[in-house]
Amino acid sequence: MSDGALLRTDELTCDFGALRAVNRVSLSVKAGTLHSVIGPNGSGKTTLFNLVSGEIPPTGGRVYFEGRDVTGLPSHRLPHLGLGRSFQRTNVFAKLTVYENVWAAAFARRPHGALSFLRRASEFSDVDAGVRRILGEVGLTHKLVARAETLSHGQQRALEVGVSLASSPRLLLLDEPTQGLAPEATQQMTRLVQSLVGRYTILLIEHKMRIVMSISDRISVMAFGELIAEGTPAEVRDNPDVQRAYLGARR
Amino acid sequence: MAEEDAGFASGVRACGGLGAFEAPSRSMKSAFPRLVLLLAAIVALPLAVRPVVASEIWIFAIAGMALNLIFGYTGMLSFGQATFFGLAAYTAGLMMIHWQAPLLVVLAAGTLVGALAAALIGYVCIQRVGTYFIMLTFGFNQMFFFIAYKWTVVTGGDDGLPGIPRPPLALGPLAIRLDSSLRYYIFVAAVFLLAFCVMKRIVDSPLGVIFQSIRENPVRAAAVGYDVKRYKWIAFTIAGAFTGFAGVLYSMMFGIVPLESISWIISGDIVFMVLIGGIGNLYGPLLGAAAFKWLSEAISVVWERWPLILGVALVLVVLFLRGGLVEAFTRLRDAAGGPRARREPGASVPVGIAAETEAGS
Repeated sequence: MSDGALLRTDELTCDFGALRAVNRVSLSVKAGTLHSVIGPNGSGKTTLFNLVSGEIPPTGGRVYFEGRDVTGLPSHRLPHLGLGRSFQRTNVFAKLTVYENVWAAAFARRPHGALSFLRRASEFSDVDAGVRRILGEVGLTHKLVARAETLSHGQQRALEVGVSLASSPRLLLLDEPTQGLAPEATQQMTRLVQSLVGRYTILLIEHKMRIVMSISDRISVMAFGELIAEGTPAEVRDNPDVQRAYLGARR
Repeated sequence: MAEEDAGFASGVRACGGLGAFEAPSRSMKSAFPRLVLLLAAIVALPLAVRPVVASEIWIFAIAGMALNLIFGYTGMLSFGQATFFGLAAYTAGLMMIHWQAPLLVVLAAGTLVGALAAALIGYVCIQRVGTYFIMLTFGFNQMFFFIAYKWTVVTGGDDGLPGIPRPPLALGPLAIRLDSSLRYYIFVAAVFLLAFCVMKRIVDSPLGVIFQSIRENPVRAAAVGYDVKRYKWIAFTIAGAFTGFAGVLYSMMFGIVPLESISWIISGDIVFMVLIGGIGNLYGPLLGAAAFKWLSEAISVVWERWPLILGVALVLVVLFLRGGLVEAFTRLRDAAGGPRARREPGASVPVGIAAETEAGS
């Protein structure tokens, strides 16, 4: 655990009835890196995320964050330990404004006792500054008072990332941030993710191979719930198992 | 986990309701006239309807505000608010009959009873969401109704709890009599205004944003770090306190606590008022309570089947006007091209540190 691993999963397993969605996945994410998880549809990537972020409890195995066993902690505890996530399907607060969306996430992580609730939400200048900085970073400053549901798909994906950033996570789980984006918006999102590298440790699920290969430090490949390969982008590209998994002729 | 049943709540803020943050240009221009209008309504109401009805309007407006907090803001529809309304009314009645308890003590006690009951009952109810939550609140309501119905020695059962005095308002050496219905109206209006300001402060506080984030998306609210059940519980308990407060005021109205005050009919009426007025908007329940009580007063005189009209009104609101009367006003204002009719969509008005300019509360 002192090997610089921020996140480590140990034989993580998840069954949905008879289906084993994630099968004994052990991976470790080094602090300061961008680590991607790739794999064909249905290979268990999002389920792996849900296990790590406490959304669903694992059937077996453990999750360690900064050496601490966080397996089975309720999902609302994890942001406070430094683990933030985005969702594959945009999952923000639709009827709240862009500003309020990020504010809600930022305030959650600010230490607040019962006395904070005697103040107006608008009186927390530290939270306000953080929200504006994040909205600047994800390029939504011009949309502060727009309701989230009125944003374009690309803007919603940016907001999705913004809400996750507002938790000031040490580990950021990004679930397909470019999902459903047009080419230009995809480029913007890729630049955004790249700009986060170094400041955050990122675990990224991504389908678009070109992006993954160009920005990842390490890549884990999943197929049928199992980890079938791991390595640098070049290593993964040349791995015959990976090629087989993507061509569909498994074993 | 089942989907949060926010069907009705999707009408929330259809008319740009009150968030915790308002653009400075908005808060200066809009909150102030609203408060002036509210004060004008308080003064004018006893001229338009009998003071007794006017008092009832503000009492139910308080109960409506409470339901609005858990339904409109947090997304939980409680169909059992009469539990807290009635429990507080009986508590207040019994304290005044048997101990001649002073007014402010009774108000405090009833509020506390409402909060405690809501804390206990709410803790159970929030374990479920959607329809199951509604049924739990309803089930508890029925339970307490039957206790009140059967425990005649204490509650008077079907006959109600009669003989409740209306103690004077003792402020230090000053004892203000509240015996006439107009005097009582002034008292009710004053404490209503107090309750309204407290409620406004609650929804302007971080709780307002947290509650709404839970209404919008409980999964995400947890994923950003909020203990969703804990905040739902807080909302439910606060609402219980406000509803209890309203119940005490109600017990002193007619000198009797009718069995009805703890029945599902009152629970339904409160839901009704909030829906008609406009959910998720601070002023919605006020309009709803006024419309409901005024309609029942005005029409019941000429036509005893007036609930039919209320039923039709509810159907129309749900079908065509999800934002209730508040939305109706907003639409009218927009159609008339009023001064603040159009808010630039997405205008980059700095919203954060703005609301201290807000007038009033």
